[in-house]
Amino acid sequence: MLDLFLAEFWRSLLYLRRYPLELLGAVVTLSLIFYFLFLGARFLAGPGAEFGGRLEAVLVGYLLWTFTLSAYNGLSFGLMEEAQTGTLEQVFLTPYGPIPLFLVRNLAGLLSQGLLVFLIALVLMALTGARLAFAPGVILPCLAVLLGGYGLGFAMGSLALLYKRVEQLLGLSQFLLLFLLQAPGTGPFALLPLAPGAALARRMLAEGAPLDPSALGLAFLNGLAYLGVGLFLFRRAVYRAKRLGLLHGY
Amino acid sequence: MEPLLQARGLVKRFGALTAVRGVNLALRPGEVLAFLGKNGAGKTTTVKMLSGLLLPDEGEVRLLGRDPFQDPKALRHLGAVLEGNRNVYWRLTPLENLVYFGVARGLRLKEAQKRALALLEAYGLREKAHTEVRHLSRGMQQKLALLQALIHDPEVLLLDEPTLGLDVETALLVRERIRALAQSGKAILLTTHQLEVAEALADRIAIIHRGEVVLEEEKGALLARFAGDHYVLELEGPVPEGALARLRALGVEGDGPFLFRGDGKALWRVLEALKPLPLKRVAKAEADLLEVFLKVVGHA
Ligand SMILES: Nc1ncnc2c1ncn2[C@@H]1O[C@H](COP(=O)(O)OP(=O)(O)OP(=O)(O)O)[C@@H](O)[C@H]1O
Ligand SMILES: [Mg+2]
Repeated sequence: MLDLFLAEFWRSLLYLRRYPLELLGAVVTLSLIFYFLFLGARFLAGPGAEFGGRLEAVLVGYLLWTFTLSAYNGLSFGLMEEAQTGTLEQVFLTPYGPIPLFLVRNLAGLLSQGLLVFLIALVLMALTGARLAFAPGVILPCLAVLLGGYGLGFAMGSLALLYKRVEQLLGLSQFLLLFLLQAPGTGPFALLPLAPGAALARRMLAEGAPLDPSALGLAFLNGLAYLGVGLFLFRRAVYRAKRLGLLHGY
Repeated sequence: MEPLLQARGLVKRFGALTAVRGVNLALRPGEVLAFLGKNGAGKTTTVKMLSGLLLPDEGEVRLLGRDPFQDPKALRHLGAVLEGNRNVYWRLTPLENLVYFGVARGLRLKEAQKRALALLEAYGLREKAHTEVRHLSRGMQQKLALLQALIHDPEVLLLDEPTLGLDVETALLVRERIRALAQSGKAILLTTHQLEVAEALADRIAIIHRGEVVLEEEKGALLARFAGDHYVLELEGPVPEGALARLRALGVEGDGPFLFRGDGKALWRVLEALKPLPLKRVAKAEADLLEVFLKVVGHA
């Protein structure tokens, strides 16, 4: 399994090195989206408006979104590309089984994912003058969010496996993700995927709140539950794809 | 010897179409079985069921005694080249592909690196080891697809049209390597719709038609059926029992067109046996022998 992780990690580094423009393109687009929204908001608020601590909170939410986004749509885009370039079947021929392989692949992709968010953070801090004080403890709720993001990613991957072309759906659901990340993390909202972890991370970064162990526990419970649901759905989808003969290219 | 791969009663339906109906098959070490059939006969469908990619509606697959659908670990012993696919990552180099797939198939990283280099060397791809696959020629990509199936040194190889699209020289090289692999003890199933490919490579040939194996024989026995001149005969009406018995005694096969193998002189004995039934057509079969054969065994 360690060798598989190393091989996947090495493969993701190869892509990063060979196609740096793809990462760069993502950094530029995602930074510009936020920057234009920022400019628009400042224009509406009138000259001299001050965002105060709000800007940091919004920026943190946005960065968390870009981070979750790649956890969420990485598998689906991967499956679609494999189907298109004719490697899908070969991936399913692994003795590790497809689910462990894709889990390891997700994990191996964390570095390029982190790099993306880090670069966007740098660009946006320079452009908007926001100051982010990064408390290391924030990693924990982000991890919980990540688990939930993978869970949703596997659920979406099930659709990608069965229906192949799901770009439109992926595009639309990105905004749903934004909502989940901005939702309050308490009461019934705590049942929504990603919400409790995201709310905790937001409180910590924007308000300087301390790490609340019970909120963190809840966030992890939520993340693991959605990961479980995602894996269950993906398992079903693999079975269905094998029954209907959908494991092929197009 | 125990078969390494065994399939019993495989059936696969796609909606109203039954693509494979009751295929049985056993692959033993050191043996090449050619799956010969026309387009759409069910070759690829069978290969996909054997490799655990397509769930049979009925029947079962055993790979070294294990069910690949229940137990993916069994796939450690299988390598496959799937039809119409690139089978390798086009944005990686051949070396990177082989190392990656080697590890994904259960090798240690170091082992995969060593085997990858050795295979590239042996198949004349060493100097392309560091060129991205998308810049390789089709034939090189096809060769790499084969190496990708070999990287983890599996006991069982499933090759769907392995020589399709290769130039004469490369096709010969691949044929030679497939033979050498069989000699080293691998169990190999390959599909083809060219009789000559089956002829060059196989120990046994199975002819599949409309999802059914209509004939499975040692290569020699099967080729003997195709040797010499063949005549196709058709009659206006049905053949009475007596005449039919005489035809069979002369070695005529089929019923509806009939197929007779023999020289022009022997043909007259057949015509004699048919006298005075009205003939519709007597022709020497010169076209695709597989086609003729299928027509005559009454499965077309
Ligand atoms: N996923 C699928 N869904 C529906 N029908 C399918 C599917 N896969 C194969 N078929 C049908 O099953 C039949 C057998 O196809 P198969 O690909 O096994 O043939 P083949 O012998 O490999 O032919 P070829 O020589 O053209 O490769 C065909 O009629 C094909 O259209
Ligand atoms: Mg085929």
